[in-house]
Amino acid sequence: MKPIDIPTFQPQLKVLSREQALAIHTAALKILEKIGFKMEHPGALEMLANAGCQISHDWVRLPGHLVKEALGSAPRQIALYDHKGKKAMPLTNGNHFYGTGSDATFTLDLGTGERRRAILKDVANFAKLVDGLENIAFAMSMANPEDVPVENIYVHVFAEMVKNTNKPIVFIADSGKDIAKIYEMACLVAGGEDKLRSKPFILNYSEPISPLRFPQNVVEKLIFCAKKKIPICLPSGSNAGGGAPVTLAGAMALGIAENLVGLVVHQLAGKGSPFLFGPNVSVLDMKSTVVSYGGPEWSLTQAALADMRDEVYGLPIWAFAGASDAKVMDAQAGAEAMFSILSAMLSRCNLIHDIGFLEYGSTSSLEMVTMVNELVAMSRFFTEGIPVNNETLALEAIERVINGGPGSIFLTDDHTFKYFMQAQFLPKLLDRSRYDSWEEAGAKDLYKRCNIEARRILSEHQVEPKPAEVLQEIAGVLQGH
Amino acid sequence: MNEFEALEEAVSKGDIKTAVAETQRALDAGSEVKSILDKGLIAAMDKVGDRYSKGLIFVPQMLRSAKTMQECMKLLQPLFQEGDVTSKGKVLIGTVKGDLHDIGKNLVGMMMGGAGFDITDLGVDIPPEKFVQKIQEVEPDIVCMSALLSTTMPSMSRTIEAMQKAGIRDKVKVMIGGAPVTEKYAREIKADSYASDAGSAVSKAKELLGIL
Repeated sequence: MKPIDIPTFQPQLKVLSREQALAIHTAALKILEKIGFKMEHPGALEMLANAGCQISHDWVRLPGHLVKEALGSAPRQIALYDHKGKKAMPLTNGNHFYGTGSDATFTLDLGTGERRRAILKDVANFAKLVDGLENIAFAMSMANPEDVPVENIYVHVFAEMVKNTNKPIVFIADSGKDIAKIYEMACLVAGGEDKLRSKPFILNYSEPISPLRFPQNVVEKLIFCAKKKIPICLPSGSNAGGGAPVTLAGAMALGIAENLVGLVVHQLAGKGSPFLFGPNVSVLDMKSTVVSYGGPEWSLTQAALADMRDEVYGLPIWAFAGASDAKVMDAQAGAEAMFSILSAMLSRCNLIHDIGFLEYGSTSSLEMVTMVNELVAMSRFFTEGIPVNNETLALEAIERVINGGPGSIFLTDDHTFKYFMQAQFLPKLLDRSRYDSWEEAGAKDLYKRCNIEARRILSEHQVEPKPAEVLQEIAGVLQGH
Repeated sequence: MNEFEALEEAVSKGDIKTAVAETQRALDAGSEVKSILDKGLIAAMDKVGDRYSKGLIFVPQMLRSAKTMQECMKLLQPLFQEGDVTSKGKVLIGTVKGDLHDIGKNLVGMMMGGAGFDITDLGVDIPPEKFVQKIQEVEPDIVCMSALLSTTMPSMSRTIEAMQKAGIRDKVKVMIGGAPVTEKYAREIKADSYASDAGSAVSKAKELLGIL
C-alpha cells in the first residue's frame, strides 16, 4: 500500500473578514487622531509630544504613523519561562496557554463550600493547584486577600505565589512603587536582572480606564516594564455598554485604540520591549450592570481580535476563558466555561487568563480550576483534529478483524492496544461510568469530584521549593529592608 | 382614572417629547406643580423602579425614563414655591481619593436621581477634605462613596474619619459601594449602609431616610 502523508488540518474559527478587521483598525486610528485621549503621566506626555503628538494640557491626539512604528518595533514573539529559566510559554502563532485570574474578592471555601472573603492562604492554594495541574500553564493571584496590609497587598501576593509555584506568573501591581519591589523579588528568584530579562517568568497586567483615560500610576507601571524589558499587557475594560459603546465593533475599536496608546508609550519608553496585545471587551449586563464573564460576547470579540492579529497586528494576544457568571459551580458554570475555553482555542488566542472564576470574576473556586484543567484537555483533543494516514485509516486492522474468525473483535486487536491512548480522549473527572458503579462510588457530581481532586493535589503535590537564601531575601523585601 | 395617566405612560416609555408636552398640558390645564411632580413624575418613576427590580425592563430603559423625568422637571422647577419639598432627600456622591473609576458611581447617581433624590455629584478622586467641605456646603442627607480598587478602599475609611474630626459625621448617613466593597467592610469603617448595585442603592437610601 502506498504511504499517505497528509498534514492534519486543525479546526479553526474565523469571525472577521479582512475588510471588517481593517475597518475596526481604521476606526481605532481615527479615535486616536481625531478624538484623542487623556494622559495623566507627565513623562509619557513629554515622550508623546517629542514623538509628534498634538497635546493640549493632558489631552493627546496621536497620529497613525506612531502606531505603525510601535507595531514595527514590538517583538512578534514573547516567551515566558518557568522560575528556573526553562521555556514554558512560547506565545507565538496560535499557541495557547491557560491560567488563572487575579484579585477575586471572595472564594468558595474548599472545606465548607461557602463563599467567604479571600485570604493570603488562598493565593498559596491556587498557585499550588496550578503548579500541580498539567494543562494550566500560568498563575495569577486569584485573590485580593483581606489579611495583608493593603498598601503592600500586591507585594505580599507575589511573594506567596513565588513560594507556591514554579510556573510563569502574571502579576498585578498598584503603581511604580510596589512594582519595583515585585521586580526585586523576581530578580532574586531568577538569579539577577540579566537572567530575568533574558528569561522572564513574569508578566505584568495593568489597565487604563475606558474610555480613553491613562492614570499616572498605570503608566508608571507601563514605563517601568518597558525599561526593564518585563513583558506587560495593558487591556482596558472597554466593555460594551459600560466603558465603551454597546455595539461590539465600536467597543473593540475603542479598546484597541486604548491598547495602541499603551503600545506606543511602551515602545517609546523601551523600543523592542515585549508587549502582549489586546483589550478586554465583554459586555455590561443590561439588567445587573455586572461585566459578564460567561456571555458569548467576550469570546466573540477575542476571536475577532485573533483575526485582527493575523491580518494587522502580528503581536501575541491576551484573552480570557474558563470563567462564569454563576454563583456556584453548577451547570451554568460548566456550560459557560466550556464555551469560552473551546472558542478561545479554536480562534487561536495566546495567553488566556481568568480560568476558575465564578460570579463574574468576584469569586474564585479551586474546584472550578480543577474542572477547567480537564475541559482544556478535552478542547485540545478536539482542536488537534483527525490525523489521516495508513495507520489511522487502519485498513489492515479492519481486514484482520473481518478475517479473524469467530470472536475476533477490534478491542483485542494489536492496533487498538497500540493507539487507544492517543486515538481517544480519556477523561479523568468527566464521568462515564455505568450507573450502578457511579451510585456505589457515592453518586458524586462533578463539583464534588473536582473538590476531592483539588484536595488531593493540595495535599500530595510537592512544589519544588525555592532555595532557603532566596526565601530569606524575599522575606527581607517584604519587611522593607 | 389617574389624571396624569398619559404623562405616566410617556415617562415609563421614555418618550421625552410626549412627556414634556403632557407636563405642559397639565400646567396649562391648571394642575398644581406639586401634584404633577408627585402623582405624575415620581409615581411613574416608582413604577419604573419597581419594574426594573423585578427584572422586567433593562437599565437603558430605566435611565431613559429618568432622563425623561429630568426633562419634565425643567418645566416645573421655576414654578416651585420656597419651602416646597421637591425631592426625597439630598445626596452627595463621589469616587474616593486615588480612584478614577466612575461608571458605577454615575449609574448610582442617575438611578437615585430618577427615584426622586436630589444628587450632587463630586466626580472622581475626591479627597476626604473635599467631601467634608461639600457636606458643610450642600448639607446632604446621605453621602455616597464609591471605590473600584481594593487599594483605594481605605480612602473611604479616611473620609469617614475626616467627617468625625470635622464634627459632621452625625449629620449625614454614609453609604458605600463598589466591586471590592462588602457589607462587612462597611461595618468595620462604621458606614451606615452598603449597596451592592445601583438598584439596591436606591432602596437602601430610602431605608436610611425612612421613606417607604
